[in-house]
Amino acid sequence: MASISLSNIHKLYPNGYAAVRDVSLDIRDGEFMILLGPSGCGKSTTLRMIAGLETISAGDLHIGGARVNDVDPADRDVAIVFQNYALYPHMTVADNLSFGLRLRNVERRIIEGRVATIAGMLGIGDLLARKPAQLSGGQRQRVALGRALVREPKAFLLDEPLSNLDAKLRASMRTELIKLHRTLGTTIVHVTHDQVEAMTMGERICIMKDGVIVQVGAPMEVYRNPVNTFVAGFLASPPMNLLHGMLDSDRISIGDVVLPLPQSLRRAFASHAGRKVIVGLRPEDFHLKADAAPVAAPIEVVSVTTEVLGPEVILVGTLKNSSAELHIRCPRDFRSEPGAMTVFNYDLSQLQLFDIETTTALMRPVKI
Amino acid sequence: MIENDHKSQGAAFGMRGIVKRVLPHIILCAFSLMILMPLLWILRVSFTDRLTAYKIPPEIGTVGLMNYVEIFQRYPFASWFLNSLIVALGATAIALPLATALAYAFARFNTGGTFLRLGVLASQMLPPIILVLPLFGMFLMAGLMHSRTGLVIAHLTISLPFLSWMLVSFFEGDVARLEEAARVDGATRWQAFRHIAVPVAAPGILAAGLLGFILSWNEFLFALVLSGPSSQTLPVGLAALETHAGVEIAPLAAATVVSLVPVFALLPFLRKHLIKGLSLGALK
Ligand SMILES: Nc1ncnc2c1ncn2[C@@H]1O[C@H](COP(=O)(O)OP(=O)(O)OP(=O)(O)O)[C@@H](O)[C@H]1O
Ligand SMILES: [Mg+2]
Repeated sequence: MASISLSNIHKLYPNGYAAVRDVSLDIRDGEFMILLGPSGCGKSTTLRMIAGLETISAGDLHIGGARVNDVDPADRDVAIVFQNYALYPHMTVADNLSFGLRLRNVERRIIEGRVATIAGMLGIGDLLARKPAQLSGGQRQRVALGRALVREPKAFLLDEPLSNLDAKLRASMRTELIKLHRTLGTTIVHVTHDQVEAMTMGERICIMKDGVIVQVGAPMEVYRNPVNTFVAGFLASPPMNLLHGMLDSDRISIGDVVLPLPQSLRRAFASHAGRKVIVGLRPEDFHLKADAAPVAAPIEVVSVTTEVLGPEVILVGTLKNSSAELHIRCPRDFRSEPGAMTVFNYDLSQLQLFDIETTTALMRPVKI
Repeated sequence: MIENDHKSQGAAFGMRGIVKRVLPHIILCAFSLMILMPLLWILRVSFTDRLTAYKIPPEIGTVGLMNYVEIFQRYPFASWFLNSLIVALGATAIALPLATALAYAFARFNTGGTFLRLGVLASQMLPPIILVLPLFGMFLMAGLMHSRTGLVIAHLTISLPFLSWMLVSFFEGDVARLEEAARVDGATRWQAFRHIAVPVAAPGILAAGLLGFILSWNEFLFALVLSGPSSQTLPVGLAALETHAGVEIAPLAAATVVSLVPVFALLPFLRKHLIKGLSLGALK
């Protein structure tokens, strides 16, 4: 087990493309860290630099306190699970699992014992004699995971290992990975662009965009206090509604809709009064009942369409005299005809404001 | 869509359907005959005597193995065969590991860049006759003329570029990902090459080896210029049969048949491994 620390890491690919820029991140020993971001933001590049598969153009990488910039991947003692699993096609499952141990000249008896333990743990005991080509996607995924586990490395690097699985299998593997982390306590860096995985699995989330880190924090902290509109619009599904508005000393106007500012927020936003802002309204902060939130303001929403998901209904609608769409999370029995108007009570304590130019959050009203 | 289906189904039973199905077979048979006829002709001639060999329309005269006996008794056929075998095996045994290493270097490290890759390919495009003269000069100086060693070296100038060019694609793509997995698993570069890259590319390497062998087995020009009486290979020997006193057509046919045996013996392997090798990319 080991901590992983990245200080001012840069990656410049030979073609001159700067895939990762000035990334600094301290991953604690035993932490479950999520790297989250859209496609092409440099998640895999970062992970591959930690594994030693890409050279580090600038900056320092420490694993377990030792600087490993120039250490061979074979000697870093980390394990990586690739998105396409990269199982050795010419070896049986058993040989795939034991390859790393055999390279280290571990005793036959010990290897067999460990392979059996891991195979039992992952439920692949019956598959040991098969070749990867004879396995289903889910089984390959388990073998790839087993190959990483069997070596008992200092850290696991997982590069979207669940993305090739169907929704049900992905959900159960998610739970299993969390359990696994709880039992082993090994440091895990898990790359994903699935925000559900990010919210449910990680102890902390590191959100990346265009090769830089945008925000690092516990899932709920990042959810509650997104540092900018990118994070606000990336987390959760449906994400936060972002609407253009005007901030005055005692109210916010979004088109024709006027939200009174509660006393506590007035002071916080005072210095920005009279400016245009981006208003962030989470879909789950709209309530049908008037007494659902202590400080609430009524908002009239014209229905465009409803998405009935089963446990809940997502209303897609517009504000009065406005074309900007917003998503609202409603109870499962909610129905609304297109064009019909519903009055929601918006929980003002959850209001988020962002600078219209820099897109950064104006303040973080709630601390957890 | 449905209408179309009906049409084509109806047509399958009509005149047009029959033509559609039969015509390709007629064309394919014609092509196959074009390729097979000379071989069949040689096979027939090899079992007949000199006199019936040229008869048209073909005539079955005395049928027997006399030509096969003759090539071993009147000509040093065994020696030609042995020389060919030694040279082809030798050249392949040396070329294959070197070509594998070269191809790996190209694929993994882009050694020498595009320039070296194209250079290797370009050497394949030169007419062999351009290489023969300098080789002749160098072999004279080095005392390699008329030796099998010299011939092996000469054949390397053909098979090394050819095989390495062919093998590059087997080390590109997915194999690189597998090696990365092995590297993180604790393998050194050499171990990843030895335990992952080579076994995964094995069908390709085997196919390349077989092709290299056939290339060397059939090579004529270098062997003609550089070999001596004791190191003559089959193609050169066969050519000698043609120029002795007229064309010794019947023994020549027998010799040709025997010299084709190893090539035909290798073909099934070649096909199997080449196809397996080329479809390797489909593996996930
Ligand atoms: N070998 C390379 N040479 C040049 N550019 C590269 C190379 N590999 C990746 N890139 C670029 O670097 C950027 C980051 O790539 P990376 O694979 O790290 O993205 P990612 O965040 O993992 O995306 P995804 O979610 O699609 O896997 C991309 O724009 C990509 O095109
Ligand atoms: Mg990636």
